Amino acid sequence: MRIVIAEDSVLLLDGLTRLLVAEGHEVTGYGTADQLVLALSTPDAELPDLLVTDVRMPPSHTDEGLRAAVHLRSLHPRLPVLVLSQYVEQSYASELFARGARGLGYVLKDRVADVDEFLDAVARVSGGGTVVDPEVVTQIIARHPGSDLDVLTRREREVLALMAEGRSNAAIADRLVVGLAAVEKHVTNILTKLGLPPAADDHRRVLAVLRWLDQNGSR
Amino acid sequence: MTSDDGPAPPLRTLAEHVAPALTSGAGFLRAPFHPATRRAVAALAVGWVWHLTAGLVLWILVLVSAGLVPALGIGVPALAFWLGIARRFGTAERARVARQTGVRVPAPRPAPAPHRPGVWSRLWASVRDDRAWATALYAFLGMLTSSLFFGAVTALAAAAVAAVIFTFVGRDTALAGWPGLPWPATVVGALAGAVVLVWAAAALAQYGSYLMVRLAGALLGPSATELARARAAAAERETRVAEAAAHTARERAVVLTESRTAAISAADNERRRIERDLHDGAQQRLVALGVELGVARRLADKDPEHAVAALELAHREIKETLAELRDLVRGIHPAVLSDRGLDAALSALAGRSPVPVRVEVSGDLTPASPAAQAAAYFVVAEALTNVAKHAAADLVRVHASLVPDDHPARLRVAVSDDGRGGAELSPGSGLAGLRGRVAALDGTFELDSPPGAGTRLTVEVPCAS
Repeated sequence: MRIVIAEDSVLLLDGLTRLLVAEGHEVTGYGTADQLVLALSTPDAELPDLLVTDVRMPPSHTDEGLRAAVHLRSLHPRLPVLVLSQYVEQSYASELFARGARGLGYVLKDRVADVDEFLDAVARVSGGGTVVDPEVVTQIIARHPGSDLDVLTRREREVLALMAEGRSNAAIADRLVVGLAAVEKHVTNILTKLGLPPAADDHRRVLAVLRWLDQNGSR
Repeated sequence: MTSDDGPAPPLRTLAEHVAPALTSGAGFLRAPFHPATRRAVAALAVGWVWHLTAGLVLWILVLVSAGLVPALGIGVPALAFWLGIARRFGTAERARVARQTGVRVPAPRPAPAPHRPGVWSRLWASVRDDRAWATALYAFLGMLTSSLFFGAVTALAAAAVAAVIFTFVGRDTALAGWPGLPWPATVVGALAGAVVLVWAAAALAQYGSYLMVRLAGALLGPSATELARARAAAAERETRVAEAAAHTARERAVVLTESRTAAISAADNERRRIERDLHDGAQQRLVALGVELGVARRLADKDPEHAVAALELAHREIKETLAELRDLVRGIHPAVLSDRGLDAALSALAGRSPVPVRVEVSGDLTPASPAAQAAAYFVVAEALTNVAKHAAADLVRVHASLVPDDHPARLRVAVSDDGRGGAELSPGSGLAGLRGRVAALDGTFELDSPPGAGTRLTVEVPCAS
């Protein structure tokens, strides 16, 4: 897989590159967010299979990476982007997922140290899946003071959180150590209770769940 | 005094001073023995003689000259001359009143200046001098008043003396049997009369003196308009002083507001810097470290050689991260400063500087507060960093001392180098932030850096800050 990395910390760039190369991927480019936006903005630019980008980078050291991701996604809606952030903020997530969730990931930078998790996220995002950091999901769910989600059982709430992270039914079953059929039953129950339409693919389901949580969240 | 609400001395005080017999019972009982009486009698006696001679002569001459005014050639110059003399008489009178009664009558304004140059103009100005005329009037009224009171007081005293003498020699005179009383009763009556006369004479002397002083105040001092003008000027002066004080207070408030803002933004910048340092440094290093360890674990079974290489990398990472954190912590607050004081902290700074530093500490710096010492420390630290980065210097001197002569005592640090100079305080720089910190402590910050002649930074902060 051809991967482009936007990261200003040489150290981390180095570590990520070696990790990805060791996994058989190819790092075809790196630089700051601005440089990548320039390189990938031309219509005939050769798109990588995945863009991994940090959020805070020169020149302003604010949210360059995030803005670059949003911009590049509007130019190339099918470009998979995995955003690594030192701090996950629900407001950043809303901005990022506003136009869709297919092939899009937003995870805490610290997750990179959990190499298996990170490689899993890389695989899922580049395969068109959605990855939302559990921290973001926790933040979103925390804004519901309970009553909204009281219609759900405890296990259903666990399943909801994993759905919001973008996990497939199989992954959820794996995580909760239950059978696939049980997960499917939970998912159907959740969607029915929250009044969401049953969705065929995972990323659309994520979006629906996130949107529901977002809209029904009390501020 | 021409006005009852005039400035000091207030009339009550004047009356109490010159005529205590009339203002208090105790003063009356003591009247014949009171120093005020002695002063009053002397003042009346001298005043009487003086007014009768000088005053009378002056008055007659002024009147004669005034009568001659229609004959301009003689009358006006004569009048002007005598009015000039009247002014001098007034000056002498004020001196005499002050000496004899202790009451100081302020001098009036000098004779008005002529409107135009020329002899006639000058003469006319003298003739129009109202204070000179007032003095002439004083001479006339003073003559009458002092004659009246001195005469009356003398008569009363003489009568008292006569009554006493009568008790010795009067037994055989025709008067002895006159009231139809027996002789002893007459003696008692005469002595009682003498006592009453003595008290009356003393009180009258005091009253006369008091009237003379009032007269002098009204006619020899400044005119009513002059006093009003002086009062207005004094009030205006006071207003100006108050305005100046208010202005100073406002300026101080502005300075304080600015220094507070600077302190807040300095603290804010400092937090930002720490956050940036942590984000760019330790956090990135730890993430990278996590990656290395993750890689090592993944490779442990199938590729132990690469796994060991990753572990070595991770190990190096950890050591570098620790060094970085140590630097960062020292930048937040150096432990040596709290543990061993500024002296030791400055030596530690010097030891880490790539440019040779000579530290000189005069005396004991411990009277300076921790905040003052910390400010001094960070000034020196930032200055040394700047020297190393920009100055191309061979030697830096750091001098720290207390300036106890100033009140309150101040802590002074001076950092001077022999480098290329030309240093500037650009906004947002470390030095500018330190200037805010120093200003917040009410300190001073001086940067002297002529191009080519080294840089000298002097900072003083109050020890108690």
